[in-house]
Amino acid sequence: MDDQGCPRCKTTKYRNPSLKLMVNVCGHTLCENCVDMLFVRGSGNCVQCDTPLRKSNFRVQLFEDPTVDKEVEIRKKVLKIYNKRDVDFSSLREYNDYLEQLEDIVYNLTNNIDVENTKLRMEQYQRENRDIIQRNKAKLTREQEELEELLLLEQQGNEQRRLDVLQEEQRQLQAKRKNKQALLDELEKSQLPATILLAQHKVRAAQLETQIEQQKQAVKPTNLFSTGIHMRQTVSLQPVPKIEEVLYHYKPLHVEIDGPPVPELEQLGRLGYLNHVRAAMPQDTAGGYTSALACHRAIQDAFGGLFPQKG
Amino acid sequence: MFHNSSQRKYWIFSSEDEVEQMRYKANQKFRNKIAESGKPGVSESTFLERHEEDVLFRHYERRLLDFCNAFKPVMPKSVVGTAIMYFRRFYLSNSIMEYHPRIIMLTCAYLSCKVDEFNVSSTQFVGNLLQESPAGQERVLEQILEYELLLIQQLNFHLVVHNPYRPMEGLLIDLKTRYPTLENPESLRKSADDFLTQAAMTDAGLLFPPSQIALTAILNSASRASLSMESYLTECLGLKGDKETLSKMYDSMRRMKTLLKKYELPKAEEVNVYKQKLERIHAEFSTSSNKRKRGYEEDGHVAKEPRITEEEWTDEDLV
Repeated sequence: MDDQGCPRCKTTKYRNPSLKLMVNVCGHTLCENCVDMLFVRGSGNCVQCDTPLRKSNFRVQLFEDPTVDKEVEIRKKVLKIYNKRDVDFSSLREYNDYLEQLEDIVYNLTNNIDVENTKLRMEQYQRENRDIIQRNKAKLTREQEELEELLLLEQQGNEQRRLDVLQEEQRQLQAKRKNKQALLDELEKSQLPATILLAQHKVRAAQLETQIEQQKQAVKPTNLFSTGIHMRQTVSLQPVPKIEEVLYHYKPLHVEIDGPPVPELEQLGRLGYLNHVRAAMPQDTAGGYTSALACHRAIQDAFGGLFPQKG
Repeated sequence: MFHNSSQRKYWIFSSEDEVEQMRYKANQKFRNKIAESGKPGVSESTFLERHEEDVLFRHYERRLLDFCNAFKPVMPKSVVGTAIMYFRRFYLSNSIMEYHPRIIMLTCAYLSCKVDEFNVSSTQFVGNLLQESPAGQERVLEQILEYELLLIQQLNFHLVVHNPYRPMEGLLIDLKTRYPTLENPESLRKSADDFLTQAAMTDAGLLFPPSQIALTAILNSASRASLSMESYLTECLGLKGDKETLSKMYDSMRRMKTLLKKYELPKAEEVNVYKQKLERIHAEFSTSSNKRKRGYEEDGHVAKEPRITEEEWTDEDLV
């Protein structure tokens, strides 16, 4: 996968697989060390294309092909401006035209075609649709917030559950320990013989166990299926359409051979044909050959086409 | 099987006239081709007439049969039958003036060995041309390989040929099983075999299905031995009530026997005369096609040997 090296120091990439490639806005890559060396002053020119660059613009390369990274960056920037959604358009056709525009712009900027004009277009669009852009930005942030809230809630729920389970376990452990302690105390203080005390202790331990088991089994009752349908709700789905077709009727294959009927392969022995055919040797039968096969073939050939064709 | 074979669909013709028409057309086609190419000094008499072509055809067919019978290792009958059928089919749509039968017949035999899975290597095959030196055999082999694709093409790629030998075996088995009236069907075998070999030399294979040919062979040999087999047809083959089919079958059998009777062995003097004519035609008109073949072989070089040496081996070399 890493057969591309840093274009400047070339060797270091192979020798040091942990080294990362960084991409800039012009689409050319440099390894971390080279970036540090070249941009020690904060800004410089790209090695391959000589565009003025800043060190801060370097991002760790995510994709193998640096052009893809470049395009991803450009797309992010463009989408900040061109952020209309399908509900903003009155027809599908318009939405698609808009999307095509968007792609053209991204393509042009990525491949350095007509950069000036494209930038002008972008600025023009920005000016014209300023309020829509603002509105959409706001909507986007709102949506993102809502999503984040949901995620947070889920996380909290998970945490809560985990804590509950832990607490349960703790309690159970404690109960067991208390039981043991009680046994020891009783053995010390009580007048009853040790066997009876042990028996009582055993009973209590068993009771405790069953209690724990039951608690584990107790499922929290819900009233919602995972698809969102309520438990008691009767959902009426459309009945499966019944297709009435003619039943298939097997008709054995009939081949017109223009001749008298040929006896079946299995009947040949019974009818006496095989007496007049050379018997199969043991070597032949090993492969599955029987004399009936040759006989049948000869009879088929003899009877096929024997009668003149009709019509 | 025969009922859905290409032989039944494309290579069974309704009458001898149809077959003759096709041959006549092939002859005409060649004449027109030469006339169009505008060669000087060509008159009608240089071409072969239909009956002359027939004589030569029969002569070379005989040669093919002798070659196959003298073949080492022994060639099975079906291979021989297939080779003869290829030869016959090829010259239905081509004239012997265009492609010399000497080469075509060897190509037919060669192809038939391949198709019928009778395994002979090519060197073994040409090794059967006893009159040739090994170098000569090599040359023949080259020619065979050149013409092989042409042969397959002219057969319209229909390579499976149903011969009457297996139907004959089947009929004999059936006679032995179901027809006790006839005491010893084996006695019919020899003359039936001869009948089939003779039938292969006629157009019977192009007009009748092989099982009918086999039946005719058996009935013929039975009547020669003065044994009556009529009841076989009516009883065993179930044709008692079907007078129409029965009469049609007798008709076909009669036609076939006529065909066999009409066959005459080619006479040596006639053959020689026509052969000379053929050689002359080939020498004059086939130069262009052969030169082209040599040219593609040697990639633009001019043929080093003069073309005449190709014809060094003659018919006498074959037997």
